[in-house]
Amino acid sequence: MATVVMNRQQAKILLQKTFRLQKFYDEQWQTIEKILNGERVLLIEKTGFGKSLCFQFPATVFSGTTVIFSPLIALMRDHVKKLQSLDIQAKCINSEQTVEENSQIIEEAKQGKIKILYIAPERQENSEWVEATRQMNLAMVVVDEAHCISVWGHDFRPAFKRIINLVKLLPKGLPVLATTATATKRVEKDIANQIGGEITVIRGNLMRDSFKLFVIKVNSEDEKMIWLGKNIEKLPGSGILYTGTRVDTEIYSKWFSHLNISSTAYNAGLDTDSRIDVENGLMQNRWKCVISTNALGMGIDKPDIRFIIHTQIPQSPVHYYQEIGRAGRDGNPSFIILFYNPNEDKKLPEAFIEGGRPSIKKYQKVIDCIKTGLFGEREIIKQTNLKQTQFRVIKADLIEQKIIREATYGAGKKYEFIPNSQPLNTKTFEELREAKTKDLEKMIEYVETTDSRMKFLCEYLGDNTNRTFTNCDNTGEKKVRVIVTDEWTAKLQNFRENYFPELVVESRGSNIVNGVAASYYGVSNVGDAIHRSKYENGGDFPDFLLRLTLKALRKKFGNEAFDLILYVPPTKSGDLVKNFAEKLSQVLKIPVSHNLKKARETAEQKIFESSYLKQENVSNAFTYSNPNEIAGKKILLFDDICDSCATIKETGKYLTSLGAAEIAPIVIAKTTGGDLV
Amino acid sequence: MNTDTAYWMALAHELPAWNFSDTNGWKNEDKMNLIIQFYHEKKMSIEDFFGLSEASWKNDFQINDKQIADIQKAKSSLANYAFLAENLQNSGIEVIPVISTEYSKILKENLKKSAPIVLYIKGNKQIMQENSVAIVGSRDASQIALDFTDNIARKAGKEWKVVVSGFAKGVDKQALDSSIACKGQSIIVLPQGILTFESGIKTYYKQIIDGNVLVLSTFHPKAGWGKELAMARNPIIYGLAKEIFVAEAKPSKNRQGKETKGGTWAGVIDGLNKIQKGIRKVGTIFVRQPETTEQNDNLLLILKGAVAVDFDGNPVVKQYKIQDENISIVVEPQEKYKSFSEQVKEILSKGRLTIKVIHKKINFAESEQILKKKLEKLDFIEVRKEKNKNYFMLKGNTESSLFD
Repeated sequence: MATVVMNRQQAKILLQKTFRLQKFYDEQWQTIEKILNGERVLLIEKTGFGKSLCFQFPATVFSGTTVIFSPLIALMRDHVKKLQSLDIQAKCINSEQTVEENSQIIEEAKQGKIKILYIAPERQENSEWVEATRQMNLAMVVVDEAHCISVWGHDFRPAFKRIINLVKLLPKGLPVLATTATATKRVEKDIANQIGGEITVIRGNLMRDSFKLFVIKVNSEDEKMIWLGKNIEKLPGSGILYTGTRVDTEIYSKWFSHLNISSTAYNAGLDTDSRIDVENGLMQNRWKCVISTNALGMGIDKPDIRFIIHTQIPQSPVHYYQEIGRAGRDGNPSFIILFYNPNEDKKLPEAFIEGGRPSIKKYQKVIDCIKTGLFGEREIIKQTNLKQTQFRVIKADLIEQKIIREATYGAGKKYEFIPNSQPLNTKTFEELREAKTKDLEKMIEYVETTDSRMKFLCEYLGDNTNRTFTNCDNTGEKKVRVIVTDEWTAKLQNFRENYFPELVVESRGSNIVNGVAASYYGVSNVGDAIHRSKYENGGDFPDFLLRLTLKALRKKFGNEAFDLILYVPPTKSGDLVKNFAEKLSQVLKIPVSHNLKKARETAEQKIFESSYLKQENVSNAFTYSNPNEIAGKKILLFDDICDSCATIKETGKYLTSLGAAEIAPIVIAKTTGGDLV
Repeated sequence: MNTDTAYWMALAHELPAWNFSDTNGWKNEDKMNLIIQFYHEKKMSIEDFFGLSEASWKNDFQINDKQIADIQKAKSSLANYAFLAENLQNSGIEVIPVISTEYSKILKENLKKSAPIVLYIKGNKQIMQENSVAIVGSRDASQIALDFTDNIARKAGKEWKVVVSGFAKGVDKQALDSSIACKGQSIIVLPQGILTFESGIKTYYKQIIDGNVLVLSTFHPKAGWGKELAMARNPIIYGLAKEIFVAEAKPSKNRQGKETKGGTWAGVIDGLNKIQKGIRKVGTIFVRQPETTEQNDNLLLILKGAVAVDFDGNPVVKQYKIQDENISIVVEPQEKYKSFSEQVKEILSKGRLTIKVIHKKINFAESEQILKKKLEKLDFIEVRKEKNKNYFMLKGNTESSLFD
């Protein structure tokens, strides 16, 4: 098994030759020495410290292959590129490469042609990979971003569970290195416990002196938008703006483009090519800023991110430290700005903590379902009427509690009940919730503190240091306030009235085109107005909604001529939709038809959580009493609210089958994830 | 799963096996002796044993140089076995080494030093410690043999006895089905590695989670079905049971078309032989008393010393003495198992073949159609059509046809 005897001087010569680096830091060498000796180490060091060298160097010395489990595809790509430029045989296997590419790499690994192999933890589920591991000559296993193995960490990932199980089974003397930049004492203990065996923890200091930390307190979302509109161009270089939700990435990027500030939006909803393109663009400073959910940046090795701004407080100081850690790796000053609206901003993280777990009843539903047979995700979601996201949370918890297991059958995964398992333990949920609430309180404390902010973060993360800090708005830097002028209020108003969300509904075999919504449901007063009319006997939808809807229509479709207006027949809420469609018809001077009807009773879409069931609910649900009047026609299709757009898509399909030439959908409001309609 | 699982798996599968051409190889007995030395005598864990120096192996355990090289090789495979063990764990498969208290007591007692080093199981392992009966017999058993099987299985269910069977066609399948039908408990002893039994686990999912079925294999988890494995499994079935009921032993034809006594016969004879030599302490072999018109070897087995029983499994006549005869003892297959893709690679290395020939050569258990699908999934296989026939060959094998 892999042990290599080498002193620091000998290693240094090799380091200079292979990596073209001058020397090891003490903590690097301390780690490497243990790894060369076949030991297990947990290394906690800040971003930019040079953790990677602690496994890359030994990997080049060992005779076999070093496998690195990493959740970050961007980081894999980066590291591999760098290592290859040093003539080190490094490859990665990930879901962005084709099956053939991955197979090729697996083959090379089997033949011992690869020194350093990066793979995602999920790869443990892949039978080809497992087959390959039977033949590979393994020298060392590395668990990167090791905080992901702890539920007490800020980014627990169930796929890491299997990696831990693997590490436990590895023979003594096979070196294992776990690395992370962010682990509180509790997480540190948890990781060390889980990895087991004799493990040494090496922890460095977390201080980043080049950061300039600011907190900007505001009273509204408008103030954030205005301050950013005014000031972002004044910040040096390029950076990242983190928002709380996907919708916000879109809104802020539209706002910036309204102001001619170069930016782009990034979130986990983008396809792989677009994601890679944004990541590359970020590296090349293509924009002033990238607006993103926290999906972006982990593992991106860009030395000169000059600012990181959060429009929404993260859930905990650990999240925050992790996210700002991506700035200023080159050691030059970087601006770290956090907006906080005391009236509003706690709600999102709170909702996340409260709503993080589905009800216990839903857990039981899943357990009962799995007890009756061997099913995959889709089947269970259908049988239990759960949202995919909910099912995944439940599934992860049940696996964690060893009540079910996720087993691979052929190419798919199925869920097995584990006989004699303990009943669901809700106490751990409570404990986790309490811990998260405390974390959030700590985050608010960070906002409110009058002391050094850097010191606050370091101490929270278990680095108790005695240095003096002068790098925040409490310790020498200026305090920032937002000044709202009429000019900027008008600019924002103008933006709001000209920004309409798109309904992406186009699909093959249907003549439906992408449509438009007059607003997001929760963003302005639109949602309130709709709710009053629908559920509080507030009468017809008010006229300002008609004006806004017409504006959206013009913006999206210009003066395109339509032959006929149809509306989606409602399940409940009376004639609101019909009346609104009639008003549209009057203004637009396009005839409205009342002939689109429900063929059968459908339930209200909002009671269905699973998108499969939403689709089933409206499938073949419509009928048209006089189909001749729509053959070859261009149709404007109106509905009040849409969420998944399943109804609109289904209607589009039906009208296409009756010969409609084009169906253009328009709605008053589009809901987003968390809206309560 | 215990942290030492990979070590036990390496010990079980990675040491080159004894056979007639390699008499320096390891017999199961050699491995057992080693385990007795380090675990029972020196109270040492397997991890510590593997961690010893070569000098210590040599001096304290009297291991010779060839064996030391073998152990070193096994040691270098530990990380690979760790990956495989994790895979098993994730599939809910447990690995039970022979030193574990969870290991079947009756199996250890019956097989002594031929007891398998590890058991791979899925399901209610408690079943292994219950009172049990095995039902064995031919793959193409007669109706009366199947009825007998059904009757014995149901009776076992009523008496809270576990039914052990081998998951072959005919009697085995009947024993399992009848046991399940009466909500009894069963052990399926696989003629293959447990990871290759996915479809069976799907089929018996409900019975497995309800605690009524235990799937057990003693072979490398990835080993595909093989005749040798089917033969090697017989002693395990016998070893797991207190009573063995033989429904029907029938002659069958081997690959060359020559008639042989068949697997059931070989298994019973081996069992009787062990009893005769006093190797086996527990259990009796019962053979169904055949009607005079029946064409099978049941009577012959009774003449060799098995106890004749009626339809309800009650003894009918007194025992006959076993006659001396040279009986070959069934041993564990000694050759290293080859995975499906390895087999395919090997037989295609000499050139292209049709599906029919491949099916025959690798003795594939299922239909040609299924084989074809499996082959098409292999990335190193290429299919070429010539004269209305599909030929399978290794990719990049540019050997041209005579008729091109």
